[in-house]
Formats: sequence, structure tokens, C-alpha cells
Amino acid sequence: MNREEAPGKSPEEMYIQQKVRVLLMLKKMGSNLTPNEEAFLRNYAGVVHSQMSQLPQHNIDQGAEDVVMAFSRSETEDRRQ
Amino acid sequence: DSGIQSGATTVREEDETESNKKFPTENTTDLDGQYSLTRAQRVRAAMFPETLVEGESTLPTQTDPDQQTNVQRLAEPSQLLKTAIVHLINYQDDAELATRAVPELTKLLADEDQVVVNKAALIVNQLTRKEASRRVLMQSPQMVAAVVRALQAGDLETSRCAASVLHSLSHQREGLLAIFKSGGIPALVRMLSSPMESVLFYSITTLHNLLLHQEGAKMAVRLADGLQRMVPLLKKTNPKFLAITTDCLQLLSYGNQESKLIILANGGPESLVFIMRNYNYEKLLWTTSRVLKVLSVCPSNKPAIVDAGGMQALGQHLTGSSQRLVQNCLWTLRNLSDAATKQEGLDGLLQILVTQLGSDELNMLTCATGILSNLTCNNARNKALVCQSGGVEALIHAVLRAGQKEDVCEPAVCALRHLTSRHAHAELAQNAVRLHYGIPAITKLLGQPYYWPVVKATVGLIRNLALCPANQAPLREAGAIPRLVNLLLKAHQDTQRLGSSAQQTYQDGVRMEEIVEGCTGALHILARDPINRGEISSMQTIPLFVQLLYSYVENVKRVSAGVLCELALDKQSAELIDAEGASAPLMELLHSPNEGIATYAAAVLFRISEDKSSDYRKRVSVELTHSLFKHDPAAWEMVSEANTHLASTLLGIHVFMDLALCTGVQSFGPSPNCSHKVGSMKLSKISWGQAQLLKNNPIP
Repeated sequence: MNREEAPGKSPEEMYIQQKVRVLLMLKKMGSNLTPNEEAFLRNYAGVVHSQMSQLPQHNIDQGAEDVVMAFSRSETEDRRQ
Repeated sequence: DSGIQSGATTVREEDETESNKKFPTENTTDLDGQYSLTRAQRVRAAMFPETLVEGESTLPTQTDPDQQTNVQRLAEPSQLLKTAIVHLINYQDDAELATRAVPELTKLLADEDQVVVNKAALIVNQLTRKEASRRVLMQSPQMVAAVVRALQAGDLETSRCAASVLHSLSHQREGLLAIFKSGGIPALVRMLSSPMESVLFYSITTLHNLLLHQEGAKMAVRLADGLQRMVPLLKKTNPKFLAITTDCLQLLSYGNQESKLIILANGGPESLVFIMRNYNYEKLLWTTSRVLKVLSVCPSNKPAIVDAGGMQALGQHLTGSSQRLVQNCLWTLRNLSDAATKQEGLDGLLQILVTQLGSDELNMLTCATGILSNLTCNNARNKALVCQSGGVEALIHAVLRAGQKEDVCEPAVCALRHLTSRHAHAELAQNAVRLHYGIPAITKLLGQPYYWPVVKATVGLIRNLALCPANQAPLREAGAIPRLVNLLLKAHQDTQRLGSSAQQTYQDGVRMEEIVEGCTGALHILARDPINRGEISSMQTIPLFVQLLYSYVENVKRVSAGVLCELALDKQSAELIDAEGASAPLMELLHSPNEGIATYAAAVLFRISEDKSSDYRKRVSVELTHSLFKHDPAAWEMVSEANTHLASTLLGIHVFMDLALCTGVQSFGPSPNCSHKVGSMKLSKISWGQAQLLKNNPIP
């Protein structure tokens, strides 16, 4: 487990960093957070600040895209007048 | 005396007595004589009034002013009969004259001297003025062939006469056949390049008659390169000429892809759009709109028409008084609309279409909803404009009036779905649906009988509506949640029946995987509301959502991870999720290249691991390190790469097995005991779990 630890960061610090990032991403996507999670973000405001700039700028989950309908109307002869 | 023989009116007893009183008996014979003489005169006057000498009159026999005599009554029919007989006599004369003249005229039309040819053509043209002689001409193949030759070989004046002759002959079927058989079509097509207007007019009109009434004419005109000659004629300025030319193009291109491509290659779309923009002769606009309608189903012509400004030009005529023109323009616009999603300058058209949503006419509603659906697709400007023009309310009313008519309902719902997402006014639109009482009507569309394209569109719309917090309760009250869950179960069952990811289940052209994705996506957003969340959980949906994490469809994975993420906000649901063995697939999903999937998966793992040991949290953290930071070079630098990859893979497998085994209490009672085989345990749990779910939530 220690091999996986980032040099200079304890497992706990990694955990906090990752959780802050996940929670910020969740907020960006419009999801709710639990009161504990909101408190977590408040507690680690410094980490939040450093992670904010690293979040992707584009929209992540906007649901299904708009789709055109193909109206290939079968050619019907009009009544000639 | 009935009067049939004498023409005298019937004399009644009292009249007879009176007449006896007026005329003494000794003068009766003289009176009869006088009546007999005037009878002939009366008949002659009735039948041949033109023979009466001025001042001449006959002895009147009408005694009752309200009752005509028999002669008077028979006057008009007898004159008609007389006229017919005169015509017959003249017809006979004309026919005989023409019959005698045709062989000679045929020879003269082939004379070397152009003056002779010209004179012969003039005479032939004269002969075509009378029906009898015209018939004789068209019954002579040699004569028609000679006229066709003279059309091409002669001077302009001769050509004009010859063209006039062919035009006259083309009013009868016999004449059309004669022209067709004599090679008239290629000759007439060549004459479309004539510098003489009258030749041009006669030629196009004759060709038009051939195209309308002569079998085989269309093929012959195409083979003679008729289209290539006709399209340039669209630059002429005579509206009536243009009307005939466009009608010819319509006749030739209807159902013939090659013809449509030839029209395209010769600049047809631009010329046709120009006509729509610059003329106001109704018949011309109608015939031109018909050509555009035919071309609008051609994938190559479609963008050309749109690029030439076709949408705007057609939109100009949607408020006119000609219903046939309005309808043709609408159908054409509908066909073109999927190629026009990026067109600018459609503000006026969009506003007219919103107004037309108020129509009760089915064709108009079908077209207006279809065009609006496509023009609002991925176009934020159009979406905003339609919203600002009252489009949301109008579309809701269209849905209400459409009933079971899918051709109106589906595009209307699609348009609402577009308006409620991905633009600055989306939230306004989401609120507007609720404020205009649209939620119950829209939710009802999820009911039976299922027309899957409408269901798919409605599910997407409900998902968008749920993004607005104020809509959550109305959606719940309208019964959206149980309808969505039942649809999800049904669609999922259908996909499972095939049992292979390679095969896809289609119903009404919609894949059931799309319904699964759509329903789960809608439930995901609905689950943002705490009461809705509880209702969704209470319907025993968690095992199904966990199973959907294994779907081969990425979007299904995303929405199921998303809904689990929301449900996991509640502690009880988090425990259920954990109990269903969600940790294993979620760990896999941490590595998804899709940021949404990875985030949701991580969030669920965090939520179900809140009460777990620090070892567990560390394992989650390790997995997260290898996923969330892989696109983040700075963070990745902090992790030792070489050893981490191998170790984490091994660790991942170990963690997978570890988590799978420590699933704790089952949600449906004891599960099959095969704890040493993680893979089979996973599969057997899922199929058993689903059976329980279906048992608890039978599909109506």
C-alpha cells in the first residue's frame, strides 16, 4: 500500500483530495450532496480552492443530445388542378 | 285536335262555342286554308329564322300567353339539330378537302425550296384550325413526320408554323401518339433552344401535353436531354411560361432520382428558390413548390435548396390565401428541416410556425411541429426565439389536441424536449410547461398503448422537466415515477430476452436499450428530490440499477451510476446498494474514460463506505488514484508509475474479491451459496434478485 502513496502525501491526504474533487464534480453536474459532504467541503476549503481550477470546463452530464427527425416524406402526387 | 298535326292549340268547349260565335260557319273552309298555309311558315320560321324576309310574319296561334305552342316549344331543339346537321355537312367537306390535300402537302413540306416549305406549313397550320381537317392530319404519319422535319430544318417562320401545328395536334390523344411515334419529342426538345419566343412557347406546351398524357413521353424527354434544356429556361421571365416549365420538371423528376440529380447539376435549386422569392403568380408558385417538394426528399438536393435560401423563400408563402400553396410549402419545409438546423435568418419562419400550432388542420399541425422540432435541434438561438414567441404553450396545446396522432405528438414532444435543455432559457421553458398545465398531459403519454417513439421523446422531456425543482412534486403527483419504473422493467425484460449484447431489440424503430437509458436517466434526475428518492427506492429498483451497471451501453452505465449516486444520499438506500454487491462494478467504473461515470461511481463508493473501515477507504482511494488523476499530469506525477500499475491491478483484483465477499445482509433473503466463485456469484445473485424485483412489481 505504501508503494502507491504519492511522495509527500499520506493516504489520508490523498483520500481527502480525491473526495473533494469527486464532490466538486458532483456539484458541477447538479447532484445533491449530503450535509456531511457539504461540511467536508467547508472543512477542506483550501483543497477545494486548489481543485476548482483543475475541474473540466465543459459540461459533463447534460442528458441525451437533441436529435433531428428525418422526414423523408414519400412522394405523393398532388391532385392536379 | 291535339295540335300535333295542325299546330293549333287545343280548343275547349266554351272556346269552341265562342269561336263559333265569332266566325260564321260559311267561312270555316277559308280559315282552315289560311291556317294550313301559315303552319308551314311557322315551322320554317322556327327552324330557319334566318330565312325570314324582313317584315314577314306568320299568323300567331298562341292563345294563352303563359303556354307556348308546340311549334314554339320545338323551335330551339330543332335549331340545334339543324346546326348539327350543318356541321356534319361542313365536317364532311373539311375532311374530304384535307384528305385530298394531305399527300400533296406532305410532298411540299419536303421541298428543297424553303419558300415552298414555308407556304405548305402555313396551309397545314390553317388546316389544323378545323377539327375535321386536324383529324385527317394526325391520322397521317407521313404528314406528322414531315411537320417534325420542317420544324428542325426550316427557317424561323417555318419552325413557328410547324411548332404551332404540333401544338394543335397535341390536344388530342391521337395527335399525341402521332407526334410521339414520329420522333417529335427529340425535335421539340431541340426547339427549347430556339431564339424565337413563340417556338419556345409552342414547344414547351406541346412537350407538357406529351408528358401529361402520352405514355413513354417521360423516358423519351429524359433520353433527349430534356432536363438539361429545361432547367436553364427557368431564367425566363414570363410567369405562364415558367409555370409550364416547372410543371414539366415536376413530371420528369417525380420518383426519378437521376432526374433530380440532373436538375441539381444544372443549378435547378437556385433558380427555383429565385422564383419562389420573386414572383407572385399563384399557379407558378404552386408548380414551383411542387418541384421543390419532389427535390426535397433527395439527400443531394436538400442542402442545395437550403443553402440557396429555400427555407426563407418557402416561409414567405405560409400566410397566403392559396391553401394548396401553403400546404406544399409546409411539406417541403418539413422535408428540408433536418438539413437546416444551422440556417440563420429563420426568425420569421419560426414565429409563423408557432402561430400555425393553433390550427386544427391535421396536415398543418403535422408539418409545423415537425419543422419546429428539427429547427430547435442543437440551435440555442432558435430555441430562445421559439420560447419567447409562446412556443411552449402552443406546443402543449398541440400535444393535447393531437391525442393518438403520433405524427403530431412525437415532434411536438421532441420540440418541447429541445426547448427545455441546453440553452439560456431552458429553465424558463421548464417552468412554462408546468405553468401551462403540461405536466399531467405529458405524463399520460407514458401510458398504453405504447408508441415507442413518443414514449422515448416523453421520457427525455420528463428528465428535462425534473431539472427544475418546482416540477418535482407535480411530476410525482402526476404519477411519473411508477410509469417510468414499469416502462424500465418492461424494456429491460425485452433486452434480457435476447440474451446477447450483439442483438438489439427494436419496437416501432426504437431500441429498448434507449428506453432503459431514458427511463433510468429520468429517474436519476427525479431522485434529486428526497420524497421522490424514497418512492423510487420503495419500488425495489436498486437491484435493477445495480445490474444495469454491467450494461454494455455506456450511457446506461452512466445513468444507473447517477441514480444510485442520488439514492445513496439516503443511508438505508446506501446500505441496500452495498448489499446488492454494487462495489465490484463500481470499482470497475472508476476507470471509465467517461468523467461522469467515474464521478458517480466514486461518489457511490464514498457514500457506501462512510461506515466502513479505513482499510476499505484506502482501497477505494487507491482505485481512484488510478482513474481520476490519469488525465491530470500534475497529480499523476505524484504517484510512482511503474510499480503502481502492476500492484494496483493485483490489488484491484484482490479488492474486487474482498468487496464482493463482504456484501453483508442480502435484500431478498438468503442467496445461492457460491462464495468462492466471485463471477458466478455475481451473476446468480443478479438473476435471482431481478426475479424477486419483478415478483414485487408485477408489470400491468
